[in-house]
Amino acid sequence: MSAGLNATCRIRVSTNSGPHLLPANNFSRQPVSDINQCKMSDPWQECMDHCVQVTKQAGKMIHEALQKDIAIMQKSSPVDLVTETDQKVEQLIISSIKEKYPTHSFIGEESVAAGAPSVLTDNPTWIIDPIDGTTNFVHRFPFVSVSIGFTVNKEIEFGIVYSCIEDKLYTARKGKGAFCNGLPIKVSGQDDISKSLVLTEMGFKKNPEVFKTMMDNMKKILTIPVHGIRSPGSAAVNMCLVACGSADAYYHMGIHCWDMAGGAAVVTEAGGVIMDISGGPFDLMSRRLIVASSRAIAERIVKEITPFPVGRDDTAA
Amino acid sequence: MADEWQDPYDFAVEVAKIAGKIIRRAAEEEIKVNTKSCTVDLVTATDVRVEKIIIGAIKEKFGEDTHCFIGEESAAAKGPSVLTDKPTWIIDPVDGTTNFVHGFPFVAVSIAFAVNKELEFGVVYSCFEDKLYKARKGKGAYCDDEKIEVSDIKDIHKSVVISEFGTNRNVDVVTEICATMKRILLIPVHGIRGTGTAATNMCMVACGAVEAFFEIGIHCWDVAAGAVIVQEAGGVLLDVDGGPFDLMSRRMMSANNRTIADRVIKEIKIFPAERDDGK
Repeated sequence: MSAGLNATCRIRVSTNSGPHLLPANNFSRQPVSDINQCKMSDPWQECMDHCVQVTKQAGKMIHEALQKDIAIMQKSSPVDLVTETDQKVEQLIISSIKEKYPTHSFIGEESVAAGAPSVLTDNPTWIIDPIDGTTNFVHRFPFVSVSIGFTVNKEIEFGIVYSCIEDKLYTARKGKGAFCNGLPIKVSGQDDISKSLVLTEMGFKKNPEVFKTMMDNMKKILTIPVHGIRSPGSAAVNMCLVACGSADAYYHMGIHCWDMAGGAAVVTEAGGVIMDISGGPFDLMSRRLIVASSRAIAERIVKEITPFPVGRDDTAA
Repeated sequence: MADEWQDPYDFAVEVAKIAGKIIRRAAEEEIKVNTKSCTVDLVTATDVRVEKIIIGAIKEKFGEDTHCFIGEESAAAKGPSVLTDKPTWIIDPVDGTTNFVHGFPFVAVSIAFAVNKELEFGVVYSCFEDKLYKARKGKGAYCDDEKIEVSDIKDIHKSVVISEFGTNRNVDVVTEICATMKRILLIPVHGIRGTGTAATNMCMVACGAVEAFFEIGIHCWDVAAGAVIVQEAGGVLLDVDGGPFDLMSRRMMSANNRTIADRVIKEIKIFPAERDDGK
């Protein structure tokens, strides 16, 4: 394993939990009735706090795994990779949450791969990608993230994305803004497509027509022209790059709800737009999305790209 | 025996760090963007200023007329870049100007040094990542003073390849680039990635994060420093047709080994790009 990326993996797990957490002494000085009032006014804040803690633990596990050799297994194809770390991290996250919230539901990438259902109900649900960017993880390419989205009544209440190698923790609570390592972030606001930087990913497709459409879409976007297309390799990180203004749009067909749930909260709370590839409302189980710094950019991308079938997360293949 | 180019090498490291600091500070302000050869070939005042600062610092240290310079922003004004036998600094002050303008995290200062047309050392400072890559011919490659080496993957099916679109938006060229990417994905490989910065991409090969990076359309100043770093990290450097690397040819294939390089080369359809030396 090369020493270079190890040397530059500065593992700083931040002790600053960010402005979205209330400092402990706010509770200790208050009468009990007021504390209950606090909790009632945001019933999911405690879940989010727990989510941040478990995400940091997951990040630590990933950092430790990066120091060693990584054995690779395949899922649906030779380019759909999974490792023991994906599975262990997901187990860590789910068991930690189950212990505190035994009635909640889970949709986790590796549990679904093992046969668990991925139907979204109204029940409080944790949607988990333990390692988003497994290929990057295996190669030590710098974008590897833990992604967790939390829904209630099928609405995303908060999202956490931890970009482990960069040591960037993105958090967003519905209605309360988006943050990176505790500092507020917002989208670029770019509305001129010809000045935009667009993210998308390309991957092997078994169906030649689908493959052709995917490449043609990239060609159409590039020749608008846009400033550039980049492919970092992690959907959750891509969404956060749009959220913090480093890119102006990200579109993708073929990802999963666990790739999108955490980042969806971060982008929308950063002032970005999220929609379906068709221009309609975003559908978490649709396996496709566009996020952008503005409606104008998103709608222009909708105009240029041709959808192809990707199935849904909530129906059998 | 003393290394006669050790001083310039050490100085390149220092000046790259100073340049990187200037770039980071400039990124906090509003950036006015101009264009060069087309609407997506961007340049900013920072590119021009940083190149002047680097060249000025080198001239002050080593003498006004001792060394020659090939710099991206000076070349824009002067025409073809000719590499002579004289000690020559090959500089890209801001590699990844598009990334710089957008705040996308890969922006590098790239400084290389050639004597008798041979590359002697290369320094690439990825300033937002705060990673300094360097290599002196014959002495290995380093990232932040830790030795780096290419990956040992020989199986193309387990490789990640970097391929970029560049700044050419001619439909025929874009079609060729997409077609090449598709052929590579069909091998299949683990994936295609792109950071948007040639110098950083070469360092990704050098430290083993990817197995190959190739591009048609880059310039000598984009790849000169990375060329030393990749080779000193144990990698290979070729032309995209499999022949020897030609710094002025506007094309480059870098890989962890010849096996991977040759397999990727098989899929590349070459399109013309005007040489940097005008030949």
